[in-house]
This record gives sequence, C-alpha cells and structure tokens, in this order.
Amino acid sequence: MLVGRSPVGAAVPRLDGREKVNGSAVYAGDIALPDMLWLKVLRSPYRHARIVSVDTTRAKAAPGVRAVISGKDHPGLLTGRAMRDMPVLCWDKVRYIGDRVAAVAADTKEQADAALELITVEYEELPAVVDALQAMEPGAPLLHDDVTQYKGGDIKALIPEVHNGLSRVSFGKGDLDAGFKEADLTIEHTFRVPSRHTGYIEPHAGVLVIDPDGRVQVWMSSKSPFRARNELAFAVNIPPETVRFNPVLVGGDFGGKGDTSDLPIAYLLAKETGRPIKFIKTYTEELSAGNPSHQSVITIRTGLKRDGRMVARYVRAIHDSGAYGAYKPVAQVAITGVSHGGGSYRIDHTLFEAIHIYTNQVPAGFFRAPGAPQVLFAVESHTDLLAQELGMDPAEFRRRNLVLEGQENAVGHKLTGVRSTEVLEGALAAAGWGTPKPGKHYGRGIAMYDRHIPGGVSGTVLEAREDGAVTILSPVYDQGVGAHTVLRQMVAQELQLPMSSVKVVTGNTDNTPFDPGTGGSRGTNLAGHAVMEAVRLLKEDLAKRAAALLECPEEVVGYSSGQFWIREDPRQSIGIGAIVKRTNNAQPIAVTSNVDVKLKNNITCFAAHVAEVEVDPETGQVKLHRFVTAHDVGTIINPVTHQGQIDGGAIQGIGMALMEELLIEDGRVVTNHLGDYKLPTIADIPELVTVLVDAPDGPTPFGGKAIGEMANVAPAAAIANAIYDAVGVRLFELPFTAERVYRALREKEQRGG
Amino acid sequence: MPYPISLKINGRNYNVDVAPDRLLVDILRHDLGLTGTKESCSVGVCGACTVLLDGQMVSSCLLPGVLVNGREITTVEGLAQNEELLPIQQAFIDHGGFQCGACTPGQVVAAKALLDEIPHPTEDQIKDWMMGNICRCTGYYKIIESIQAAAAVNP
Repeated sequence: MLVGRSPVGAAVPRLDGREKVNGSAVYAGDIALPDMLWLKVLRSPYRHARIVSVDTTRAKAAPGVRAVISGKDHPGLLTGRAMRDMPVLCWDKVRYIGDRVAAVAADTKEQADAALELITVEYEELPAVVDALQAMEPGAPLLHDDVTQYKGGDIKALIPEVHNGLSRVSFGKGDLDAGFKEADLTIEHTFRVPSRHTGYIEPHAGVLVIDPDGRVQVWMSSKSPFRARNELAFAVNIPPETVRFNPVLVGGDFGGKGDTSDLPIAYLLAKETGRPIKFIKTYTEELSAGNPSHQSVITIRTGLKRDGRMVARYVRAIHDSGAYGAYKPVAQVAITGVSHGGGSYRIDHTLFEAIHIYTNQVPAGFFRAPGAPQVLFAVESHTDLLAQELGMDPAEFRRRNLVLEGQENAVGHKLTGVRSTEVLEGALAAAGWGTPKPGKHYGRGIAMYDRHIPGGVSGTVLEAREDGAVTILSPVYDQGVGAHTVLRQMVAQELQLPMSSVKVVTGNTDNTPFDPGTGGSRGTNLAGHAVMEAVRLLKEDLAKRAAALLECPEEVVGYSSGQFWIREDPRQSIGIGAIVKRTNNAQPIAVTSNVDVKLKNNITCFAAHVAEVEVDPETGQVKLHRFVTAHDVGTIINPVTHQGQIDGGAIQGIGMALMEELLIEDGRVVTNHLGDYKLPTIADIPELVTVLVDAPDGPTPFGGKAIGEMANVAPAAAIANAIYDAVGVRLFELPFTAERVYRALREKEQRGG
Repeated sequence: MPYPISLKINGRNYNVDVAPDRLLVDILRHDLGLTGTKESCSVGVCGACTVLLDGQMVSSCLLPGVLVNGREITTVEGLAQNEELLPIQQAFIDHGGFQCGACTPGQVVAAKALLDEIPHPTEDQIKDWMMGNICRCTGYYKIIESIQAAAAVNP
C-alpha cells in the first residue's frame, strides 16, 4: 500500500475534465466531414416475417436522397461481436420488431427519415414466439435453421439439440446427487428478471469514410475499437487492416458499446455514394432495437442441513437472447453470471447452468457484469429464504456459510486474501444491523457478491520526448471510467515524474497494439500492466543510450526522477530529454508493450450491501432511505474515480431494483423513450454509506483490485430482503414498483398473513 | 422552405436559414458546429441538450429554431469567459462530477442556472432543480458535491 504524496493513491483530477465541462470534448456524433451524408435505417414492423419484396424506387427519387439499399441488394452479410448470426440487412426474413431491412443516405437526417417512409416492403408474416420457455417447446416457431452454421461461435457451447437453443454454459463441482442426499431439506425457488437497457446517455453514433486509396476511416462510439474494427471487416468481407478506427470519447458504455451498430451499413452506403456517411441512433432505436440485458428465469435449489450449512445447489438460468446472439462478445455466445450461483458461500456440490434461447424479440447483450445482476437477485433472495426456513437471522446464516481464507468457493477456486467476513461485518456495523429501526414499516436487507479480476491481452505505446516528458499513446478509448488518468498516475509513479510530465494521447488502431477495451472489471489491471511493461522497456532502451552517452557499462547506470546516472558517480547524469535530443535527433523514442495478463481466479473482491427501506402498506411504494455498501480494496489508485464507480454502480443496481424495466408486450418494446423507460434521477438516490475494508494487495500494478462491477450486482436482492423485513412480502420478480408490492401485500392479506 | 432566422449565441450573432421543423439542437450541433450541446433522449426528459434561452433553462431538442428567432442563447461553450472556467465548471473537475461526459454539458448549464437563481441551494433544492438532468455514470453524489463546492465560493 502506497502512502504520502505519490501520484498513485492521490485524488488526481481527471485529464479529460476541462474538455468535458467546456463542451470541446469530441464524441463520434460530433464528427462532421465535408459532403457527409446521413444514414437512417428502415426496421421491421413484424416480429417474424418473410420478406417478399422491397421497392425503393420512390425513396430513391425523394429530395436529398443519394442512395437507398436493402438486404435484397446485399444478401448474406452477417455480423456479430463474436458469433455472426445477425444480418447486416435482412434479405429473406426478419426476426424481431426492429430488425434492419433497408437504409437511406441523404443530405440531411430529416430527408433520410422522410425517405424511409417511401420504401415499400411486402412481408409475409410468420408465427412468432416471444417467451424463452415457450420457444424451447418442440413445435414453437423456429428462428434459425441451424445455429452451428454461423461463424465465430464456440461449437462446444452451442445447443442445436434444444429447440431455438443458442448456447449453454455451466459451472460447478462435487457430486450434486450425493450432495442433495446428504441434505436434511431441499428448497427451491424461481425468480424472474425483466430486460433493462444500459442507459448510456450518448446513443450509438459513427462516421465512416472510404479514402481515395481505399482506406476505411471510422469514428465510432465503441469502447472496443479493435474488436469493432474486426467485426466491421468480417461483416462486409474486407481485410481488417484496411480499416482504421480513430479516437473519440465514448459517452457511456456499461457493456453496451462494443458492437458496430449501423457501421456495416454505413460502409455499404459509402461504397455506393463515394461520400462520408454518418449515423446517430435515436434513443427510441436504442431502447427498441439496441442490446438490452437478458430477460431471465432463474430456478435455484439448495440442499440444506438443519444446522444452517448449505451442502448442495443447482441453479438453472434461462436467458432470453432475443432474435440473435450477435451482441454477446464471447465465442460461447453466453452471459456467464450464473457462475455466481453459489454466491459468496462454500457449497461442496454444485451445478450452475445458463441456457440462452432465441425468441422474436430485441437481441440481448452485455450489461455491467453480464448475467450476474440477474443471478444474484435470485441467489441472495433465496439465501434469506433459506435462513427464514431455519428461523435464523440472515446475517448469522451468511456467517455460517461464507467462504473464508484458503477455502474453495462454490465453483472450485481456492481463494486467498479473503476478506468476506470483514466486508460483511463492516456493512452490518455501518447499517446498525440488529439495532431498532427508525419507524414502523421499515426494513433492512443484506446481499453479498464477489468476483475475480480478469486478465487478457493488451499493450500500449510509450514515448520519451525531447522536453523530458513521456507520452502514453493508448489503445484504450475511455468510455467514462477515467482509465487514462489512472494510467498516467501509474507511469508518473513508476518513472518518479511529476504528473505534468506524463501526457496521454488516445491512439488509433494503426499506431497502437491491440486492447480489448475497458470492461469486465479488468481495465486497470490490463491496461495498467501494459503501461508498466512499457515503462520497463522504455527505461531499458533509455538506459542503453545513457550508458553510451556517459561512456560507461550499462550495468552501472541508475535511474531516478527522469535522470539516468552512473551509480558510483552520481554527478555524471543525463536526463530523458537530453537522451532524446542527442541520440534520436530530438524525435520521440517510442517503445511498444504487449502483455498477456493471466487471470487469477484465486483473488476475489467482496461486496456486502445493507439496504434500509420504508414501505407504505397502503400504496406499496418503497422508499429506499439508506444504502450501505462495503468493499475490500487493495491500493486505491485514484480515490475519486474509485468512489465514482461505487456511486454509479450502486445507483444502477438500485434502479434495477425499483424502476428499470424494458417492457416488451408481444415482442414490441413499449417503453421506447426515456420518459417511459425510467432511469434513476438525482431525486431517487438514497443516503449512500461506503465502507472500505483493507485487503492484501490485488493483482493490478501497485496492488489494486477491481471495483467497476462490484456495486451494481447485488443491490436488488438487498432491497428485496429489506422489503420482506419491512412488510413481510417476498418478491420474486423485478422491479419492485408500487403496483407489484401493492399486489403482494393484498395477496398476503387474502392469505390471512 | 428554409426560413431565415438570427440568433445571438454566446454573445455572437448568427444568421442561418432553417427548415421550419429544424430543431434548435440540430441548428447548434449540425448547422453551426456547436457540438458541446448533446442530444440523447430527443423528447425533453434527459436534460443532455439543456441550454439557456434568455437566461432560462430549455431543452433544445424540443424547440424548433423558427420559434426562437431573435433570442439569446447560452450553450456550454459560452460559460467560460476568456478561457477561464466558471467556478461550477472547475468544481465538476475537482470533485469528479462527471465520468463519460455525455450529460455533463447539460448538467453544468443547469447547475449554472441554479446558482444564478439560488446562490446557496440546500441539498433538496439541488435535487429539485437538477431532477431533469439524467446521469448514468456518477450516481449523482459527486454532482451534488460539485454544486455545493461551487456554491460555497458564491458571495
């Protein structure tokens, strides 16, 4: 743990602050090129239909229109973040209300919109299925003939044997049958979670131009420029190297901004018109045809001993993938949150499986810890129900089952540096667990979560300059988390330079090495190790040059604070800037790092929440007064951005609990603008209490742990448990609107409860 | 048919021909290149496109340009004077009142309007005033902190 006035650990203001508060920050939608045309997409009004014919004659003749294309002109083009099962433009059939059918490029966006109305599409409607459980029944309408024919998927995960089956993933250990035999009682519940939208404020936007030499230039609201470049290239059959993604800021992501959106269509229209093409999705398109989270039905069964120990658990999550798997950026075409089916507890015999099913609805994608918020709502609500069955305090029940230092978690990873108990007790103490509540109809509820810190492949460019400063040329497109500021702090710390001597420039996909983008709680770990390796390479390179200039062997060259010197004679020294001037004609000396950071499954971060609610027994209205969130942390690289992840994450989790629901009626999204799709506002936030528990150093440079997906996963269960504590009703379906709580209260009355 | 209008934006006069249905947000962003103002929901509920019209907060995504002919508009680009940030802008930087920045222009403009109207707002007054500016990143705590810090240096 670092202390004092070092860059790492300081509340350094973010690099991008000035441009973001004065309006000069540039996002994809702000890019304008000469002669640029606006792209608008015609989408399917049917859930499932065959396209008989498309007539674009009238649209082509409309004012300002430069090109109109449909899937009939470009049949067979498929796209996807990993598996490519989604048509760029549908040519034979449409599979959801919102599927792309045709597109217009026009001088203004109003003209493009008007021309869409003039395209005539003849459809032959097909039977549709809009429920994942019904879709699995033999005889249900079939969306895809053969899932195994698509490219980019992991054949081992695909499930062609299941009707409308897309994929299956599973986790577990031990002997499930033996575990359940050992149990004194077996308890099962089923929970339902609706779809939610990630809710970034910047809708998807992009600009694409094909240079005269054939180079494809892109500015795109994608936090994964390398992956999106490849996705575009695969979709329209061009080599990835011909495409260059150029830097822009990304206006929020939360998992939903890695895809190419309408970019492949922009490419086709740029090819046809020879002009730059721009698109900005409307928020209605975002909500009705974007990539929301998966609707889920989660069944959880636990084998329990009378003394409160859990011995066996089976979890089955049915995730509704909608019409395509294309928005899932992994070859398994899956969300793997079900791996948390055991919660933060040790259970010896487990099987957790997630099954992804095609239905005629908006395709679902990744959303901040994909699948985990759905699964943890079920797991931690069920945990309280088990405690209740035994007449045990929910905190005491958790204490008896918590995974502790050196123990195996429920999926077989032996954990070290465990602070599960401290995190739980920290939250309980801050929440006043067990103390009298402030009033009638108040309740408190607990939920916990833990996750590992992933690795992966990344890299960066680091340059030494003649003014003695260094520049990080980063492949990371910051979608809001403050990644560049954290990387700058690390480099300043390691090179013992003032913050002002470390610049960060966002690179493009030509001049930087591959990086997967910030996500999956790995950004600081992955990009952090990439810059640290680059610092090592740069110091090595500069030390060689210093040795030559100082006329001494390399082994005797020391370094501190921007100066290389001879160890025996510190008076003989030379600075970074002088080395650049004298050995490289004052041109920057650049190194490129490539790192493969190993996933360490044995190190986890824990979170414990305690929600305090008040429920109006007449109306069912839930008021969340107080929310305590405790986390174990290693070195905090930047306390402001760290707390920002906790604040924002907690409010997303609370939004999931109390208001967020992408309402889909018969396959049609009806909450299709932000007036109807409720996101938390400043008036909805409770008092937030954060407890930080010291833990041994984590795997990031300087010993940090992950925080990005720690606060958003378990709040829903904490609030469900608090509602039960307040008024004695158990909610098995999200969100906890006044209507839903009211109905539960009336049902309880009728049962005489 | 394009219709000629004149606007005074951030102290500068602009003459522009606009279609009757051309919205102020599009005029600012796409006709005049003032892209600091953002558009998100397009239905006047998220606050990303907030600008000041004769000093009053409005959603520029709801206003046809022809209805504001001759009026004075302040956008986020017009807050800083001679490169010097307003205290509210500096406070957003110092207190982490932004993350991705997409809602920030609207937040800063709305907060400036708040502090013009109520120099020392209570937390409830801040929440009441800022309710129409959605932020998905910060959870709002650091926005409140930023506004309070800026208010603290108000006379």
